[in-house]
Amino acid sequence: MNILRNIFPLGLLVVILMGFQSCTEDLPTYLSYDPYEYASLDQDGGNWTPNLLSSASQVGIPAPADASSPAYLAELAELKTISGQLTGDQRKAVEYWAGNGLIRWNELAREMAAKYNLAPAPNADGTYPGPDPMNPATYPLFPFAHPPYSSRAFAYWAAAQYDALIAAWHYKYQFNRPAPYNADGTIVTHLPEHDLPGYPSDGAVIAAVSKDILTAMFPLEKDFILEKATEHQNSLLWAGMNVQSDIIAGDSLGRAVGQIFRMRAANDGMRNAQTPRSRSDSIRDAAQATHGWHWVNLESPPRPVGITPFFSKVQLWVLPNVEIVRPVRPPVPSTAEFKTFADELEHTLDNLTNEQRRIANFWSDGLGTYTPPGHWNRFACEYIVEYRNNPLRAARTLAYLNMAMQDAGIACWDAKYYYHYPRPIQAMPGFKTILGTPNFPSYTSGHSMFSAAGAEVLSHIFPQEASRFQAWSDEAALSRLYGGIHYRFDITAGNEMGKVVGQYVVARMIVDGGE
Amino acid sequence: MCRFLLICSLILTWFLSTGPLQAQTPTDALMMDKGQICFAALYSRDTWDEYWEGTLKRTNGNIGTLTRQVFMPMFSLGITDRVNILAALPFVSSQASAGQLRGVSGFQDLSLWIKANALEIYPGQGTLTFHTTLGFTVPAADYLEDYMPLSLGLGCPDLSLRGILQYRLDMGLYVRGQAAYMVRGNAKIERDYYYTTHGVYSNKVDMPNALGYGGTLGIWMLNNSLNLEATYDGLHTFGGFDIRRQDVGFPSNQMIFTRFGGGLHYFVPFVPGLGIIAQANKILTGRNVGQSNMITAGLTYQFGLWNTSSSATQQ
Repeated sequence: MNILRNIFPLGLLVVILMGFQSCTEDLPTYLSYDPYEYASLDQDGGNWTPNLLSSASQVGIPAPADASSPAYLAELAELKTISGQLTGDQRKAVEYWAGNGLIRWNELAREMAAKYNLAPAPNADGTYPGPDPMNPATYPLFPFAHPPYSSRAFAYWAAAQYDALIAAWHYKYQFNRPAPYNADGTIVTHLPEHDLPGYPSDGAVIAAVSKDILTAMFPLEKDFILEKATEHQNSLLWAGMNVQSDIIAGDSLGRAVGQIFRMRAANDGMRNAQTPRSRSDSIRDAAQATHGWHWVNLESPPRPVGITPFFSKVQLWVLPNVEIVRPVRPPVPSTAEFKTFADELEHTLDNLTNEQRRIANFWSDGLGTYTPPGHWNRFACEYIVEYRNNPLRAARTLAYLNMAMQDAGIACWDAKYYYHYPRPIQAMPGFKTILGTPNFPSYTSGHSMFSAAGAEVLSHIFPQEASRFQAWSDEAALSRLYGGIHYRFDITAGNEMGKVVGQYVVARMIVDGGE
Repeated sequence: MCRFLLICSLILTWFLSTGPLQAQTPTDALMMDKGQICFAALYSRDTWDEYWEGTLKRTNGNIGTLTRQVFMPMFSLGITDRVNILAALPFVSSQASAGQLRGVSGFQDLSLWIKANALEIYPGQGTLTFHTTLGFTVPAADYLEDYMPLSLGLGCPDLSLRGILQYRLDMGLYVRGQAAYMVRGNAKIERDYYYTTHGVYSNKVDMPNALGYGGTLGIWMLNNSLNLEATYDGLHTFGGFDIRRQDVGFPSNQMIFTRFGGGLHYFVPFVPGLGIIAQANKILTGRNVGQSNMITAGLTYQFGLWNTSSSATQQ
């Protein structure tokens, strides 16, 4: 009887447990949005000024078959069959890529940055191995996608997209072959229709550039990237947006432009940015001689070389040189002026509010994340969707945002290794933090420079949102003080210099034809 | 007699960089009689200097030795002779001997259990009992779970259902097995993007469910004033992911361990209702947890809250 009496309550408990479990929802892994009609088509986009291509027509593509040709009519008939009956997976793919593949590829690039943003583990003897681009699969995997690396990967991806889409717009309106659903009204489409000419396919350009650049930046992801690019290009057929010849031409254009950007990347100085120890030591010694101090890594075992001491030598996109934004000399450690800042930091950490802790963590964007440039790319994508940008305009936003952030990073790294300024944990004995201290000098704050440059560019593009971007930039910068890893003068200088970098980039935007 | 456990000290084993643990699990087969209440004050000290990064056992020069100290008040109240309510609220502090990160301290999770004696029969020269426990745990403070390995807890609500089967010989020797399935709700962290095996755009963390289990051999001696136990137990988390090489832990890591320990509960003569608890445990195998050594000491005190028809003075 005892047993019987307890079966019912036990059953009830099981039901409660299951109900509790079902409360958990699926957490989002990408930005969900409804496919939208483009706010504008930017018909003159083929006349905008590319950043690396000498002109929109530097890379040629063959003239398409005429809209009345049997070959094209056959393609239309085939497309009608394809888009007329989709499987569930095909429908899902169309919804995922949703008419602006830049959003998805930007997310995938961010995800790769997060996946590869891990520092090498020490060897048993206390030394550290480094990633080898020639043997990317040997631990530590290549790349170590720290903020400088990721800022550069995003910049190449975005700048190449922009140039390739300027070329695509140029050919769209040169050949003026209509989109298939405009050539044949019986074709079923699964995305909003627009009046952009169909040849070459802008979606195929985006997939091809992404495949080309991201494979170079994250070589171990080659198969994954290829699978995604194939799905993306197929989804254009499934959606009824492009015929096969649109896609072939777009793919070829995208790959050719990608190759031009990869040639720049091969010789932009990045391969020498992670210097050997001897060079790193001489940079440190020079700082000691000039300033009377130097930064030291305090990990155990100590990392003998900071992250990319020569990132400052990497080729800039827009900024004329790094010296014009090199900040003033920071306070000399051990002086009264320094002590004021150190006391502020210590007092802040000792009395940290929950809100300050939240800010520090929200913006931490540290190891295992998409880095601060990734955070700003995320914001940009959200506004691209909100303002219903067409792919060319979206690429313009992402290109200038990311060129600005990489230039800001390059300039920031110049200041970091020129001044070689000690981190708070080094200059303030006994001081402890709530965020991990990064493996490079303190002055200026990278978060502050990336964020200020990014906010400056986005504020120009989305002026209605400027106050929001500015507030985010300020908060991102302050978050480093709350985390205990930067002095206030690091973030003040970083914000100022980042803003100047952003202004140089905005000046370029104003004359590129896309305003 | 206040015998609620050696058990309670299952408490908090912290794990590694990760996580914690699961706290307080009333896993014994003892009940308070109606109207009786037993308070316990337990102190645990848990240290490790090696942990499993996924399946790789390692040390970390930026952690050194991790120490967690837990002070846990708890009580067990007899609602009826067959139904008890238990509650616990640990205060935890943690710090690392190396590295640059600040230690933290604060209240961890509030736990409540309802425990019922579902079966009691008398085969042979002993007593066979089956108890079941329904537990609910919820973070009691705004601690940051995304701060491994120093974080105070996993930061998620947890609902558990446990079964406890024991056979006790009249001469005092007993063997007991118990298992609990823990269903966990989301944890909530302070950033809205994180990478597990893929990126997630949310400040919520989908926490994997887990199975806790254990087997105990024990004896009551000295006219039921001394209880000795040896326990082998463990935790198996279903799902979750491994800490990647040189990454830090995360609340939804797949935490697994097995552990061995022993303890005693002694009721001092001359002070009716007062007991002393001492216990030690060591993690034997693990995954995404620290290899903890834990010692626990505490006092228990039992008395009658109200008069009842049943024997409140039963020994």
